[in-house]
Amino acid sequence: MTNTREITLTVNGTEHTIDVEPRQLLVHAIREELDMTGTHIGCDTGNCGACTVLKDGEPIKSCLMFATQADGSELMTVEGMEELPEARGDLHPLQEGFREEHGLQCGYCTPGMLMSGKALLDENPDPSEAEIREAISGNLCRCTGYQNIVRSIEYAAEELEEVAAADGGTTAASAFDGEFDCGVENCCGGPSTDRDHDATEGGEHR
Amino acid sequence: MKPAQFEQHEPKTVEEAVSLLESLDNRAILSGGQSMVPMLRFRLAVPETVIDINRIESLDYLEEDDGWLKIGALARHADVEHSELIAERYGSFADTAPLVADPQIRNRGTVAGSVAQADPKGDWGSVLLAHEGEVVAQGPDGERVIPADEFFLLPYDTTLDENELLTELRVPTPAPREGSAYHKLKRKVGDYAMAGSAARLVLDDEGRIEQAGIGLTAVDITNVRATDAEEHLEGERPSSDLFKRAGELAAEQSNPESDEHGDASYKERMVNVLTQRALGDAAERAGLVKRRVSQ
Ligand SMILES: Cc1cc2nc3c(=O)[nH]c(=O)nc-3n(C[C@H](O)[C@H](O)[C@H](O)COP(=O)(O)OP(=O)(O)OC[C@H]3O[C@@H](n4cnc5c(N)ncnc54)[C@H](O)[C@@H]3O)c2cc1C
Ligand code: FES
Ligand code: FES
Repeated sequence: MTNTREITLTVNGTEHTIDVEPRQLLVHAIREELDMTGTHIGCDTGNCGACTVLKDGEPIKSCLMFATQADGSELMTVEGMEELPEARGDLHPLQEGFREEHGLQCGYCTPGMLMSGKALLDENPDPSEAEIREAISGNLCRCTGYQNIVRSIEYAAEELEEVAAADGGTTAASAFDGEFDCGVENCCGGPSTDRDHDATEGGEHR
Repeated sequence: MKPAQFEQHEPKTVEEAVSLLESLDNRAILSGGQSMVPMLRFRLAVPETVIDINRIESLDYLEEDDGWLKIGALARHADVEHSELIAERYGSFADTAPLVADPQIRNRGTVAGSVAQADPKGDWGSVLLAHEGEVVAQGPDGERVIPADEFFLLPYDTTLDENELLTELRVPTPAPREGSAYHKLKRKVGDYAMAGSAARLVLDDEGRIEQAGIGLTAVDITNVRATDAEEHLEGERPSSDLFKRAGELAAEQSNPESDEHGDASYKERMVNVLTQRALGDAAERAGLVKRRVSQ
């Protein structure tokens, strides 16, 4: 008497329609129905963070959620990282960071760490060490002692900033859209009529 | 481990949820799922039907209204953590949110679900008690308001009726000279409390304590109020000596158990220290509120 339900998950930009039982956990749907085994299961109890994925941009533990609860949402898993524009067809700067700074040993925690790191850098492109440690506080690592993971994320933050600068500063400064106005006359093109950009925000001269 | 099989409903309104509760046997409410999913997986809960309330949009709010801070059943820990209103006006809530579990769990877990779970180690129950808050429930016969003091019965057991949905938590908006704070001792980041203390102080025009609320975490069978300490504080002027005695009284009234994290006498001493710290912050914040109002 299996009762299944059809749900739609958009994972790394690709839409998948699958039938799941209500008791199917999201992590099992991703690994077993979609065959994406990059998302790991470490503890099964919500403690380790190995199963972390992004749901509508926010990190969540996919072992603490039923697949039906993600119906209609956008998910991102580690498999999607290379396809992001900032990866430029190669490893994502975060992945590169983990390689360069030895942010992994056995690699079990790494997909979850990458997802928490991604969520952090999306919100906060220039995090302090304390902010990085807070962001990965739901992810356990049995191997590295965390120090190199923190360095890996710092590496990625710098790399992303450089990518942005190379692209003409569009990523970091895109909020200002070239219409940037610091509010001071004869500076930055002088006061603009665009009231959406308030003077205090533009005053940082970034 | 997978949970046992169950049927699932996703009501879109409170009324729909309540009528499901009324018409179905052996069912469980699923909110943020951060406690419920593990319980289902370990088969500590084996319901025939799970009523997932996450699609009831009307329960997703966090706002001041009519003299109350109102927290809808779907407000997540992270919503409180990132709210400007909370950061500006509710010190204890701002202290607590980032201390609950970890970022991923805070993105899903709800404040109301936490209170409904009634884990004596849960943080929000203490805050609700310190603020003399209320729990709003919707049942087949309409709405019922339960004072926080009358809500917690036993570990994982509350006075919420089987057929009731918890729809809202609320605490009074701050008086002109009010401050509150929460301090928590945990073994490492992301852990449940070994002990915790929430304090709220309302000062009168002369700077004397008009009202004091203290709620304790993880040191009794439920979240509890430290009533002896509260009484000792009322009518007095804030001072470190006063807070020291209040800390002692809170510790005496607490009832912790020895476990692998520490023995009972250690935890009692921690209740004393955490309560003094929470009171100190609350008093300071009550002063700051005053300065802001009089400017
Ligand atoms: C690793 C880990 C660490 C944690 N650390 C902490 C911590 O440090 N401090 C802390 O306070 N909590 C902690 N938690 C618990 C977390 O805060 C949960 O979010 C919370 O206990 C439950 O909220 P929820 O929304 O997830 O509810 P659920 O898990 O969905 O439900 C919990 C219970 O409440 C009932 N329920 C939920 N909503 C309602 C409602 N609206 N009406 C009636 N009944 C309802 C459910 O039926 C269930 O019995 C932790 C959890 C985990 C997994
Ligand atoms: S497998 Fe999900 S938190 Fe460990
Ligand atoms: S690299 Fe082995 S658990 Fe983190």
